[in-house]
Amino acid sequence: MFNKQAQGGTSSEFETVIGPSVKVKGDFNAQGNIIVEGMVEGSLKTAGSLEVGEKAKVTANVEAREAKIGGEIRGNIKIKGFLEITAAAKIFGDIEAAFISIERGATFNGKCAMPTGVEDIKKINKDKAN
Amino acid sequence: MNIFIYDSFLNQKKYDRLLARIETRITDLGLNGKISRSSLMRNIGETVKNELKRGAKTIIAVGNNKTISQIIGLLVGSSVPLAIIPIGEENNDIARGLGIESVDQACDILSARLLARLDLGLANQNYFLSDATIENQGTVVDMSDNYTIEATKTGLIHVLNLANAKIKLPPKVKILPDDGVLELVISAQSKKNLFSKSARGDQSIFKIKKVIINNPKAQLILDGSISMPTPATITVVKQGLNVIVGKSRNF
Repeated sequence: MFNKQAQGGTSSEFETVIGPSVKVKGDFNAQGNIIVEGMVEGSLKTAGSLEVGEKAKVTANVEAREAKIGGEIRGNIKIKGFLEITAAAKIFGDIEAAFISIERGATFNGKCAMPTGVEDIKKINKDKAN
Repeated sequence: MNIFIYDSFLNQKKYDRLLARIETRITDLGLNGKISRSSLMRNIGETVKNELKRGAKTIIAVGNNKTISQIIGLLVGSSVPLAIIPIGEENNDIARGLGIESVDQACDILSARLLARLDLGLANQNYFLSDATIENQGTVVDMSDNYTIEATKTGLIHVLNLANAKIKLPPKVKILPDDGVLELVISAQSKKNLFSKSARGDQSIFKIKKVIINNPKAQLILDGSISMPTPATITVVKQGLNVIVGKSRNF
């Protein structure tokens, strides 16, 4: 996920690390890359990349440029680029991402939308109506 | 004129030879100036104030972190740079972070006069160059933003301006003392990690510009030297201090 060349990222440095023994409550907004290994309650937004570790528990709506999810998220996820969901992930909420990969074993309960696909469907429906 | 501020602990006889060696080296490099020895009756702050009024060219702290802590507040916003000659291994993290490892190297660095404009942390009225540290048990961290942070295990909370070798951070986290932000690092103490080579098993890192720290039962320690009570509002003074640094500095 954090491969600069593959994903077009500009930096591999992390601005924020939420460790296993820390709980963040409220609206957390950042510009850089974030690693979550602890708990987040509220909302989580970043203009950079997000990595949610296997033991992390996030009860929040999540927005990021790209993300790798290995932990539990209860909330909606909106990713501009690539969303990678690993086998240990448990997601209870809707997903929106340009590109998605879900590994075998992951739990996902929610709706999944890919923005480009939705636009295409709208166009098709318009054409049909005309 | 170069003003050499000797900390009061250097009045002990055991430092005489070392100080004589420094003075010889300084003379050889053509950097001699005025030596001001602090003592119980003559504090560093007053001396520095007076020397700045008299037009000091460089203030050279000869001592350790504590010596530096007593000087930096007086140099904020001034073009007069701070140089450091570290004495002893203990409590000299600031010098090491600036690429100054030894007395001899410090003299050469003073001669090379490589200047850097560095940020300072400000905790209420007290400045710090390296870090502010407090126990996390019972400490409330208010991020002055839309969120709060709770630590669920005991450990330490550091607010870092300059990377400190004692606080090991993940390699992808860079601490720059001239970027206008501070790093809030929460390190949990875990029994599992006591004998671990890596101390970064359970760490949280946040980039901040302002934080309020409060713990009625613990003191906030600035640069490993100065204790102060909380609540403390910590902010960053962007590039507020001119410092002579070594080439091997860690930023």
